[in-house]
Amino acid sequence: MHIADLAGKDPFSRRYFMEMTAKLSFGLSVGVPFLPRNFRAQDGAKAKNLIYIYLAGGMTHLDTFDPKKNSGVMGKTEVLDTMVDNMKFGMHLKELAKQADKLAVINSMTSTNGAHEQGEYIMRTGYEKRATIVHPTIGPWAETLLGKRGEILPDSVLIGQSTSNAGFMDPSLSPLPIADPSGGVPNTQLIVEGERFERRMQMAQKLGQQFTEKFKYTAPKSYVEYYNQANRLLKSDALKAFDISAETNRAEYGENRLGQGCLLARKLVESGVRVVEVVSGGWDMHTNVAEGTADRLPELDVAVATLLKDLQERGLLESTLVAIGTEFGRTPDINMNAGRDHYPAAYSCVLAGGGIKGGTVYGETDGSGKKVKANPVKPGDFLATIGHGLGLNQEETVYSPTQRPFTFADKGVPVTAIYG
Amino acid sequence: MKPPFYFSPLCSLIVGLFVLIVSPAGARTWTSTDGKPLQGIFLGMEGENLKFKLANGNQISVPKDRFIKADQEAAERLSKIGDDSFTKASARQIDTILAVTLKKNGFNSFNEPLPDDLFVRRVYLDIIGRIPTREEFIRFAENARPDKREALIDELLLSPGYASNLFNYFADMFRLHSGGGPDFVNGIRMDPYINWWREQLEANRPYHEIVSEMLTAQGNVGQNPATGFLLRDTGMEFDAFANFGQVMLGIDISCAQCHDHPFDEWTQGDFYEMAAFFGNTQRSLGYQPANAMMEGGSIQMPNAPEGWKANFMKWAEANKGIVPGDQNSNQFRFFVEALGWNIADNESLQTVLPHDFRGEGGKPNEVASPRTILGPAAKVGGKTRREAIAEWLTAPDNPRFAIVIANRMWGRAFGRAILNPVNDFSNDQINGASQLEVLKFITREMQRVNYDLREFMRIIYNTRAYQSIATAEEPDLTAPYYFSGPILRRMRAEQAWDSMMTLAHGSEIDAKAGPDGSFYKKVLNIDFNTATNDDVWRHYEMWESLRGGRAAMAMVSDSGDDYTPVIMSDTELRASELPQPFTPASMLDTFGQSDRRITDDHNYDGSVPQVLALMNGTVTDRLTGVSSKVVADLEELDGPDDKVRGVFFTLLNRYPTKEELDLGTGMIEDFGDEGISDLAWSLMNSPEFLFIQ
Repeated sequence: MHIADLAGKDPFSRRYFMEMTAKLSFGLSVGVPFLPRNFRAQDGAKAKNLIYIYLAGGMTHLDTFDPKKNSGVMGKTEVLDTMVDNMKFGMHLKELAKQADKLAVINSMTSTNGAHEQGEYIMRTGYEKRATIVHPTIGPWAETLLGKRGEILPDSVLIGQSTSNAGFMDPSLSPLPIADPSGGVPNTQLIVEGERFERRMQMAQKLGQQFTEKFKYTAPKSYVEYYNQANRLLKSDALKAFDISAETNRAEYGENRLGQGCLLARKLVESGVRVVEVVSGGWDMHTNVAEGTADRLPELDVAVATLLKDLQERGLLESTLVAIGTEFGRTPDINMNAGRDHYPAAYSCVLAGGGIKGGTVYGETDGSGKKVKANPVKPGDFLATIGHGLGLNQEETVYSPTQRPFTFADKGVPVTAIYG
Repeated sequence: MKPPFYFSPLCSLIVGLFVLIVSPAGARTWTSTDGKPLQGIFLGMEGENLKFKLANGNQISVPKDRFIKADQEAAERLSKIGDDSFTKASARQIDTILAVTLKKNGFNSFNEPLPDDLFVRRVYLDIIGRIPTREEFIRFAENARPDKREALIDELLLSPGYASNLFNYFADMFRLHSGGGPDFVNGIRMDPYINWWREQLEANRPYHEIVSEMLTAQGNVGQNPATGFLLRDTGMEFDAFANFGQVMLGIDISCAQCHDHPFDEWTQGDFYEMAAFFGNTQRSLGYQPANAMMEGGSIQMPNAPEGWKANFMKWAEANKGIVPGDQNSNQFRFFVEALGWNIADNESLQTVLPHDFRGEGGKPNEVASPRTILGPAAKVGGKTRREAIAEWLTAPDNPRFAIVIANRMWGRAFGRAILNPVNDFSNDQINGASQLEVLKFITREMQRVNYDLREFMRIIYNTRAYQSIATAEEPDLTAPYYFSGPILRRMRAEQAWDSMMTLAHGSEIDAKAGPDGSFYKKVLNIDFNTATNDDVWRHYEMWESLRGGRAAMAMVSDSGDDYTPVIMSDTELRASELPQPFTPASMLDTFGQSDRRITDDHNYDGSVPQVLALMNGTVTDRLTGVSSKVVADLEELDGPDDKVRGVFFTLLNRYPTKEELDLGTGMIEDFGDEGISDLAWSLMNSPEFLFIQ
């Protein structure tokens, strides 16, 4: 497709044109996904930002947000009352219990993916994992549907993992991965300064040009784009947004990766990043679930409770949707190793802020947390619910470079009842 | 339900051929009648002699009757395949088949032949997992022998880097993990198992033997490191089985754990019946929560006399001041748990259909009997269930196993396999493969060489198809690819790291060994039938002296009574010698090394942190700064032209173009050593450095 063809079809802004020429000069393929859009959030959406806390491994639902009194499936976990009458938590979620009026708990999550990879994939992209295409996560979707927000700061950041991608969308939309939240963006101190650095960069670009022209592949061209992004980042003040070393409430968030990740997420959202995913591992508790929950749940409890309080104090809670997701729950029956195994039939996810009606329990499981009794919510529905808060238009079709049509959250049905 | 794999037309064809060709004789481990091994590449028969090429390049002839009978038979069988060398004949056969399909689909032929400079870089990266040094590059470039490519392929296949590079592939596929983290309670370590893998690949053990040994292993990871394969997934028995399906059979049947497979032929019943082959495999002696430590007496410790554990713990309590449930006794508890993290066959265990079982052929909570769901039925009499499944899997008349590994190894060489993804393809996909003929051929070859992966790769590297320039345009993932040449690939994280280590240390990096888990292995290796309580206590004291992660970094000599650990802290080692996976946010992690949670999870995507690491990382400065080895080694060269060529030879292993030469000499003339350093930095930071073309 030539740029002239695009120009004939749609009137577009100067800014769009500049982005387009920038892309062309890097030789990035210009596919249909980058046609100009209205870049407008759906009416009524209150959330402008998203912090999506993803608990990889499968958070146990019974020991957290869907405990069952006198059921014989609770192991060593006791049931805790919260400040909301019909909302009960496992005993480790003490701090969140005090802020239950901010939370909407979905206890009727259900999925058919019992394996981590497939489960996590659909919970983060809204699509079943396929062997032929990679689907984007929420960040690239939001940037595509709502337009790029920041000049230099990336629109989305992924905390807790060292690699990311934008699926079939342009590599420039990839969330910036930050493996260690306390380390910020590593390697931002130049080895050589000033003219010498410029000389090196120019030389590298010249040397790389021949190679990227020779091979018409996405990967080498994406590296050109990453160098460009890195170079812009280094020359700006934006890096400060990634540095939490001077934050005064570091200890309150908990001195662990999840806590510090939530603090960095807050700081990034405050600085203008739209979507921050915080991925936390270690929730796959096949052995000794009592020990595992005693270890990890207080971290989760303190981190999220502090995050909600912090966002509220800064006036950001109404505009920031906070979500807690996981790939599945864990078996109500405790196994021979005192652990719980994968359980996709029923599990829990949580939303707060961003227009959410606090103190809501949506959906229900039976008396032992084994079956969803009412209002089942599938992974795609959960993503659609997040999209609803952000005002992502689910009707809008985006095409992959191979012209396959996709819509955000794959026709999932948003749970609008939990919004105020 | 579609017909099972065994009845597919391809399958019957392959079965027919296999019966003729394959015999179980070892094709690789050449053994003399007095039991001595010979490491070399078999070149063919010469009268009554067997001809080999050795690691140093020399050729030797050995009288046939010096070898054991199985090797004599293998030599005769192998030498019938081709006139000059069976490997070359086999490579030509692949090219012939590919050329036909290329023509049929509108292509003239293969891509242009690969020039020498691109060849040398590619084979170093593909075979030994790192770029060549400047010296290695020049040595090849200046070699005028017409057979220098074959010679280099053989040299590399026989060098230590070969096993190191292949290890990284299997570490990703088999999710090799040193231990620690949520999957391993209380500091359980897998280092002896990881080292066992290194040893298998260094010895070029046939792949099916490696697999059989893992599937049938008993004991703890100290007594028998091959148990690590099953111990890896302790507490996740069904995931372990799903992984088994993916890596050994190329089928992802994990969905069938909860419901019939939506797209494939597997039912929920199939899943549990096949899983039942591992249904009586006990992976630990039953994990005991902290305060129940002393209640474990009734549980039988695998591979130990009845009541061994209870007796030992009572003895420790009476004689050594161990207090049950007390914090100070935690290390003791962890030690006993590690001993009991132990694979055994326990006839009282069963695979039971789930309470909400919805499939055919069974009712909820019924016991599932072992049944293979594809290929010929497994023979179960007179052996353990795991022996039965291992025998079935690697049997000559079960081609699925050979297809999986042949397809994977093909994909390693070409950057794209014939069947994708390599861990999940259906029978329909096999029968409809656009390269069915090649698939059939390489599957037969995999069986003919008796799963000798080095010999198999040797065939592929000698094809014209492989020795073509990389296809210039990215092939569509969903369209058939006809292998006019390899595709452009980004280096694996391990290749990028090992190449950087080569820049820092030269080719000596290949010989630098890392921690091997020998301390941990020694601590856990106890014969419970003969050891006294005092003996075991001595092992506990070893454990206590150096726990968890530090123990993994420690080595002891393998023989004698030497228990003094030597801690290894050097991390400038090849990726295969480092802890698995390497630490989060390290260069390896940043460049996409798998975290080993799921199979085949290496990530090839770029990122801003990656390029920042290349631009500003301490490693980059160490590699390209004014005082780096790269710059220092160019001291001996005269004149800017030679120096510029030297930098190109060192980093990109090719000649600079005229324009590049002018740019480079300009920099060196203006800025001296600083200019060389800048040029080296720029080459490392041009996308070409990270790609294999």
